[in-house]
Amino acid sequence: MKLEVVGKSVIRVDGLAKITGKAIYPQDLFMDDMVFGKTLRSKKPHAHVKIDISKAKTIPGVIKILTYKDVPNNHHGVLLKDHEVLCSKKVRAIGDPLAFVIAVTEKIAKRAIEAIEVTYEEIKGVFDPFEAMKEDAPKVHDGSNIIYHYKLRKGDVEAAFEKCHAVVEGEYKTSMVDHAFLQPEAGLAYKDGDSIVVCVATQYPHFDQLEIAEALIMPLEKIKVINTAVGGAFGGREDITMQIHLALAAMLTGKPVKTIYSREESFEAHSKRHPMTMYYKTGANSEGKLMAMKAKIIGDTGAYASWAINVLRKAGVHATGPYEIPNVKIDSYAVYTNNPFAGAMRGFGAAQVPIGHEQQMDMLAEKLAIDPITFRLINCFTVGSKTATGQVLEESIPLQNCIEAVAEAMNFSKKTEGAV
Amino acid sequence: MKVIQLKVNGGVYKVDIEEDMRLLDVLRDKLRLTGTKEGCGEGECGACTVIMDGVSVNACMVMAFQAEGKEIITIEGIQRKDELHPIQRAFLEEGAVQCGFCTPGMILSAKALLDRNPSPSRKEIREGISGNLCRCTGYNQIITSVEKASQYLRREEEEK
Repeated sequence: MKLEVVGKSVIRVDGLAKITGKAIYPQDLFMDDMVFGKTLRSKKPHAHVKIDISKAKTIPGVIKILTYKDVPNNHHGVLLKDHEVLCSKKVRAIGDPLAFVIAVTEKIAKRAIEAIEVTYEEIKGVFDPFEAMKEDAPKVHDGSNIIYHYKLRKGDVEAAFEKCHAVVEGEYKTSMVDHAFLQPEAGLAYKDGDSIVVCVATQYPHFDQLEIAEALIMPLEKIKVINTAVGGAFGGREDITMQIHLALAAMLTGKPVKTIYSREESFEAHSKRHPMTMYYKTGANSEGKLMAMKAKIIGDTGAYASWAINVLRKAGVHATGPYEIPNVKIDSYAVYTNNPFAGAMRGFGAAQVPIGHEQQMDMLAEKLAIDPITFRLINCFTVGSKTATGQVLEESIPLQNCIEAVAEAMNFSKKTEGAV
Repeated sequence: MKVIQLKVNGGVYKVDIEEDMRLLDVLRDKLRLTGTKEGCGEGECGACTVIMDGVSVNACMVMAFQAEGKEIITIEGIQRKDELHPIQRAFLEEGAVQCGFCTPGMILSAKALLDRNPSPSRKEIREGISGNLCRCTGYNQIITSVEKASQYLRREEEEK
């Protein structure tokens, strides 16, 4: 078969527009009669809140200030509808949106934001997921802070550990990470007849459409989302940021409304990578074969769930790494705190666990006096391997070749001569 | 309000500015040259890089009044009639463009570098684009593109 694209280096379709500066990102859109929107965000992580817009709305040039009272159905969220479009009574994290000012210029909108009076009545917050898991911890939402517990059970780990020749234990932590895509969020919305058009850079135009329609209580076909050029995303554009604010602003004012986030606001508005704390216990027999692994993984999803359930499930599923282990017990949890919310970011939970399982591999190899490459080759998945979840890997698994190529490229055998 | 005159991509413009406007705002909001991007607004990311009197600058760190009488080149001004500039061509061929938001600034930094050093080493290229952040590519394709562009430009010189 003659392939046109596979195996060839092709010029990307959007490349020409991008190298000539002609690609249109939402901040590059302008319309006649366009006005500007600006979001007021919480400065406190956990507080009951009251806002007074009476002074701000009298500023000349201010067209309208949206608060929760203007939102027909004040909820959104990819899995759980736990975000409010604009907070009504309580803020759960720094950066939670409180009001959306629409004004004739961006400068006036900024001035109006400063003129809105916000009264915070602070509530004790919880910033450590271990604390948040306790019964008497402050509740971020109404129910338990533990929103998900994934269990993976295979064989009998305790019995297997007793028979192991070497066992290692460790605790590993990863940090919160921002995607820092280069194009800060921006958007423009306008009315087209009785429809609303929202132009944004998003990873999910169809999902945004659904969330906007639900929040505005409008038929899906009356909401049109146009995806512009997207200036990087990496998972950080999977949740709603300004889409509903803009749609509502366009609906209520009848004008095209544009907003551009500063870099600072961008950091406050979108998700982060889940910080995870991982306890690992791994054991092997005297031949260097992995026999048992136990892991407990706690993911801090901050104030909102976003994709936490899928991310912590994925962390649990991938907790063994690419190694075949007959006895496995894994528990992973997603927990609310008053930290910035965490969601999708490159790897989606699979990027955190290698910090744990690979360090365990090195420590076990050392204890067994086997070099770490050989130890991995003994245990790594090959065709026919069975994963901890029971999946039989029947397709190409070229991991051995990969490990061998890496060992050769780093001149591994020479480096470790006499080391073990 | 104040009126300034500046030259952008060969054309002379008189622009009404407010005192607190940046060169970036003049280019984007007044002249609608939106190829120049704003990524951070504080001179960190380089997405707004333009060439001012031969030197690459962050357009977010230059006040509009400071650009009075200056000659500015933006991404919209580096193309040669209907033909791509060799740097643009190299970026396209080497896959140095992904999301594209850093690309205009990156190309202008590359141009400022190649204008003063036609045969930079990879290390010099790294230095030359050190003021421009890219979150997608990991930079290697960009460095290779600049290297390739320098070959294109030298070949052009030889052919003259």
